[in-house]
Amino acid sequence: MTQKPNQRGATRESIKATQHHWPTRSAFQPGKYLRQHQATLTESFMRLLSYPLASVMTVMVIAIALSLPGGLYVLLKNVHSVTDQWEQQSVITLYLFPELEDTQALALSHRLSAQADIASVEYISKEEGLRYFERSSGYEQIMSSLPENPLPIVLRVIPKADVDVSTLPSLQALRDQLASQKEVDYAELDAQWLQRLANILSFGQRFVYALSVLLVVAVLLIVGNTIRMAVESRRNEVLVMKLVGATDAYIRRPFLYMGFWFGVLGGFFASLCILLLSWWVSSPAQRLIELYQSGLQLQTFNADEIVLCLTISAFVGVIGAWIAVSRHIANIELQ
Amino acid sequence: MEIEFQRVGKKYESGQEALSQVSFHLQQGEMAFLTGHSGAGKSTLMKLMMMIERQTSGQIIVDGVDLRTLSRRAIPQHRRRVGVVFQNHQLLFDRSVFHNVALPLQVSGADPQQIAKRVRAALDKVGLLDKEKYNPMALSGGEQQRVGIARAVVNKPQLLLADEPTGNLDPKLSAEIMNLFQEFNRVGVTVLVASHDLALVARMRHRVLTLSQGRMVSGGGFG
Ligand SMILES: Nc1ncnc2c1ncn2[C@@H]1O[C@H](COP(=O)(O)OP(=O)(O)OP(=O)(O)O)[C@@H](O)[C@H]1O
Ligand SMILES: [Mg+2]
Repeated sequence: MTQKPNQRGATRESIKATQHHWPTRSAFQPGKYLRQHQATLTESFMRLLSYPLASVMTVMVIAIALSLPGGLYVLLKNVHSVTDQWEQQSVITLYLFPELEDTQALALSHRLSAQADIASVEYISKEEGLRYFERSSGYEQIMSSLPENPLPIVLRVIPKADVDVSTLPSLQALRDQLASQKEVDYAELDAQWLQRLANILSFGQRFVYALSVLLVVAVLLIVGNTIRMAVESRRNEVLVMKLVGATDAYIRRPFLYMGFWFGVLGGFFASLCILLLSWWVSSPAQRLIELYQSGLQLQTFNADEIVLCLTISAFVGVIGAWIAVSRHIANIELQ
Repeated sequence: MEIEFQRVGKKYESGQEALSQVSFHLQQGEMAFLTGHSGAGKSTLMKLMMMIERQTSGQIIVDGVDLRTLSRRAIPQHRRRVGVVFQNHQLLFDRSVFHNVALPLQVSGADPQQIAKRVRAALDKVGLLDKEKYNPMALSGGEQQRVGIARAVVNKPQLLLADEPTGNLDPKLSAEIMNLFQEFNRVGVTVLVASHDLALVARMRHRVLTLSQGRMVSGGGFG
């Protein structure tokens, strides 16, 4: 290391004697670490309070940005819970050839109910069909005027799989298979409308996802910008800290915690917004739901979803702060 | 702390050659002054020691370690072993005297009781124990300077660097501050003080390093 050892004979010894004083990396001390983090957590919160206006604005913008996808999510959830009930009503209706005998129809019914992908088969005889018809419609007159019962035997086949977008193709295949039975005149899968609905729902879902991504990016930018300003306003402090031996990580930490607070507070107010909004629309919405289906409860943000919302927003806050701060602090150089 | 400069040169990006072929050796526990005309390179030399700037030629060896071998990550650890009083990095006016002095201890993660004890000891040394709760803004120039010194020594550094610490202080206060440095030196701290004040430097009877146009013109050849 020394190029001129003859000049100073003591150099070797002094190197040896002092080498163990050179702490390039201090040992990890959990107590110290936790203490620092806890202190930073409270300190960074105090920092927010030292720019009250900017902080409140930032938190509110985040809350609004997050409550939009959050609210749409709740809306979708409600639509889903309604359509989940509709899904179970789907069946494949088989209209058998009119000239078919009851015994043949029963045999088919038994054969089908043994099939693996079919849960049950409901047998509706010509007479039952007629009675149903007479009861439910204003056709009594016409029906009774006919010389004989014109209705075919009907089998209501309930497939094992619920009808939704994912099972639709296999149900259509089942419908085709049933239609090809020699006893079957016509097979109808009562699900075309459901496919349309499912498409609309998945469109809605993707729309909410895309919107969430955009708004999360917006939150990143908002947090990043606010934190960048906070760093800039503390430039002098950053310089002094570097001078007295603070690591970049140490200087960064309170700003990351600021991002954390922005995220958590933003997420909190977003959740509050959504809860208030759900409460506000709850009575008209409940009436609307009851029109279609009784016994359904209006869905809102539940505890899990609030925790998820807070977690995501805290995470986004920290990431936003990180992006803003990491290069910025390294670039603030002493001179 | 022991410091050796071996033909150190520093050329700023502007092309300005602030130091060239500077060699000297500061023994562990030594005290020296650094003088020279304005622009001679005194501040530059101290910045090299703090790794605020990096030399463009030669070697700086601190306690047997070549500073060029230290990575960026090792710089904070190096700075914690050095106390500095630099004019342009003065106190933070958003916190009390106590918290200004505590800063070097906080960044190295000392525990709060330890911090309080050491801060008070440092403030006591500079005679400002009764002002710990003040905002530095409310102190006189000389008192602020002393708070800066307390901050520089609170971490018990092995090297104390002071760049024009008596810049605009009256002679009496200047002498007081110099005495403070001498006291720290007496307990084993290596001290280097840059100063314009030749009369004061002469009175102190320590080794004097003189820079002129970035070259060490006297005081560097022995020690
Ligand atoms: N960051 C910089 N970039 C370019 N040139 C610089 C920089 N800092 C200092 N210099 C130049 O390097 C030379 C030495 O400057 P330095 O600050 O070390 O002098 P000094 O001895 O401390 O002077 P003073 O007594 O006035 O403080 C000067 O010519 C100065 O202009
Ligand atoms: Mg200078």
